[in-house]
Amino acid sequence: MDYVVAVLLPQLLHGLVFGAALGLLALGLTVIFGLLGVMNFAHGELYMLGAYAGIAVVSLTHSFWLALLVAPLAVGAIGAVTEVTTLRPLYRREPLYGLILTFGLALVFREGARQIWGGDMRRILPPFTGSTPLLGMTYPNYRLFLLAASSVLLLAIWLFFTRTRAGILVRAAVQDAEMLDGLGVNVPRVFTLTFAGSAALAALAGLLLAPVFTVYPQMGVEMILLAFIVVILGGMGSMGGSVIAAFVIGLAQSLLTLWMNPQRVAIAIFAIMIVVLIVRPRGFFGREGVLE
Amino acid sequence: MKRVTWGFTVLAAIAALVWIAAPASSQQKVVKIGDLGSKVGVFEGYGKYQTWGMQMAVEELNAKGGVLGHKIEIVSEDDETKPAPAVRKAEKLILQDDVKLLVGAVSSGATLAVMDVTKKHKTIHWNSVSCAEFMRTTKFHKYYFSNQPDSRMQANGLAKYIVDKMGKKVYIFYTDYAMGQSDGRQFKTALEKLGGEVVGVAGAPLDTKDFSPWFGAINQSSPDVLFLAFAGTDSLRLMTQLHSFGMTKKYKLAGIDCFLLQQDLPSIAEPMEGFVQLNHFSPHNPDANMQAYNARFKKKFGTDANIAAGSYDAVLFWAAAVEKAKSFDSDKVAEAHEGMCVDNTHIGRQCIRKEDHQVIMDMHLYQVKGGKNLPIAKIAGSDSIGEAMVGKDPVEGFTWEIKKK
Repeated sequence: MDYVVAVLLPQLLHGLVFGAALGLLALGLTVIFGLLGVMNFAHGELYMLGAYAGIAVVSLTHSFWLALLVAPLAVGAIGAVTEVTTLRPLYRREPLYGLILTFGLALVFREGARQIWGGDMRRILPPFTGSTPLLGMTYPNYRLFLLAASSVLLLAIWLFFTRTRAGILVRAAVQDAEMLDGLGVNVPRVFTLTFAGSAALAALAGLLLAPVFTVYPQMGVEMILLAFIVVILGGMGSMGGSVIAAFVIGLAQSLLTLWMNPQRVAIAIFAIMIVVLIVRPRGFFGREGVLE
Repeated sequence: MKRVTWGFTVLAAIAALVWIAAPASSQQKVVKIGDLGSKVGVFEGYGKYQTWGMQMAVEELNAKGGVLGHKIEIVSEDDETKPAPAVRKAEKLILQDDVKLLVGAVSSGATLAVMDVTKKHKTIHWNSVSCAEFMRTTKFHKYYFSNQPDSRMQANGLAKYIVDKMGKKVYIFYTDYAMGQSDGRQFKTALEKLGGEVVGVAGAPLDTKDFSPWFGAINQSSPDVLFLAFAGTDSLRLMTQLHSFGMTKKYKLAGIDCFLLQQDLPSIAEPMEGFVQLNHFSPHNPDANMQAYNARFKKKFGTDANIAAGSYDAVLFWAAAVEKAKSFDSDKVAEAHEGMCVDNTHIGRQCIRKEDHQVIMDMHLYQVKGGKNLPIAKIAGSDSIGEAMVGKDPVEGFTWEIKKK
């Protein structure tokens, strides 16, 4: 019993907290993949921009809560402008063009952030500190909030995609954009808004995780690798699959650390991805034909 | 003709003025010394105090006429806490600035790399901050000196106190590069020799942002004591996170001398309460020499000194050796260093051991109480320094393997 409370329970909670936050990041990535047919390499930089935008808002207003609202909107706007000016002209070309473009955008955003804010690590204080005694262990309040906030957001996104007309339109665009166009829907607008929404989601994840991981220009690169793994495991383009895979990765990572150093766990996770890509390229819930 | 005469007169007047003015500015010759270390990033706290310690020594020496009639000037360089830039900057300091003494670096990895440079160029090299055990053993060279207690010196005294007073089951958590590995190794060796049990070891990369993935394994091995070999902002983050998971109250805490600097302690007083470390300096030590030094330091910089300000002594020792050798020639100055004692260092009289150029430093065990590092026991330098092991492998036969009891 002691083992369960002192060792297993905290690890399970770690896994859930990290999985939920990772889910937010991966969800945007998989939706964009469904729409554009390419992995958005700049997604990690949008996550990073969210954290920096948050720092800017907090330093002006001293309110983390206001930053949680403003930073995603600002990064969403950057996402919309980026989509209209750079990605849209490439939709009719091969997916490789989009891939190279987003790779370039990632470099521009990352180096831009370095120019504006410098390369130093920056801290952003959580809106509340302290810990809560929970089932015989102690857990930081902010991480509990992180789990709650991410879970509520994931639920809201699920409701958006299943219960609202806008959500159904996006899913339709993911399935078959040409058919949607034929039905008289303004598809480019759906594309722009979806890209902006996914950028805002990445920014939100960036700001939510900033008090835990701190903020620096490279922060997106480290997270996006994991998000890629999640998207591949979940099945490219499958939203539900991504969320489930995010929790699987989060839990696997935190439980595996009980037996091996976290640095080796990172390698093990990559090994799992390689095996999945070889044995079942479509991932857990992917459609046949996406990667096979 | 008249115009030529006028021109000649003006030129002569200028030349005369220059001649009159020149002796005033070149009356005292200048000797440069190099200050190399982390000026930004994870270890910037140490780099800054290293510079300040040197500035204080230089100011005091220059007020008394400098060294061998030369005014001392410091040239500072940032090594980005990485070996490659450290080597580049050390070459620059030696070849371009012609420094006669190089103090640095801060990170052990950088210092080990710089030792090759100072060996190659025969430059007097003092280390006042880094603590890996290879510097006075396998990497040792004639021009290298240290007044920082290395991991071997720290481990012996601390391990004895932990086994006697804190608990026998210890988990070693270290920062996974030269310094942390060295501290972890030496501490594990010392603890096991004294009958303590190492119940787990783990390394986390330098500049880790989130330490919580390592906490499960620590809890799983249920130690009495957590031994922490981290430094700089890594330590700050680690302590904040350990505290938020209730682990600072669950385990007794001990760590290396540079774990957290005095100036960071007040802001993190609660998580650090009870933390034990072995150190050569604390501004809260009632020792008269430390108090006198700290008062001068505080007057000049407006803040308490810390262990990195031991660079003050490095400059004093070098200047005394230069005066003794009556030359800046590095071979002569290196020889003059050997066995030399200086009375007015920041902790009083100290001597350099001839065999491995290590300063024999009296140290204290300190415990953090209310954000202050307070002394709880004294350990004589001769007890902690250990045998000289120049050229020998200080980690021969070592293994990270956990011996199950």
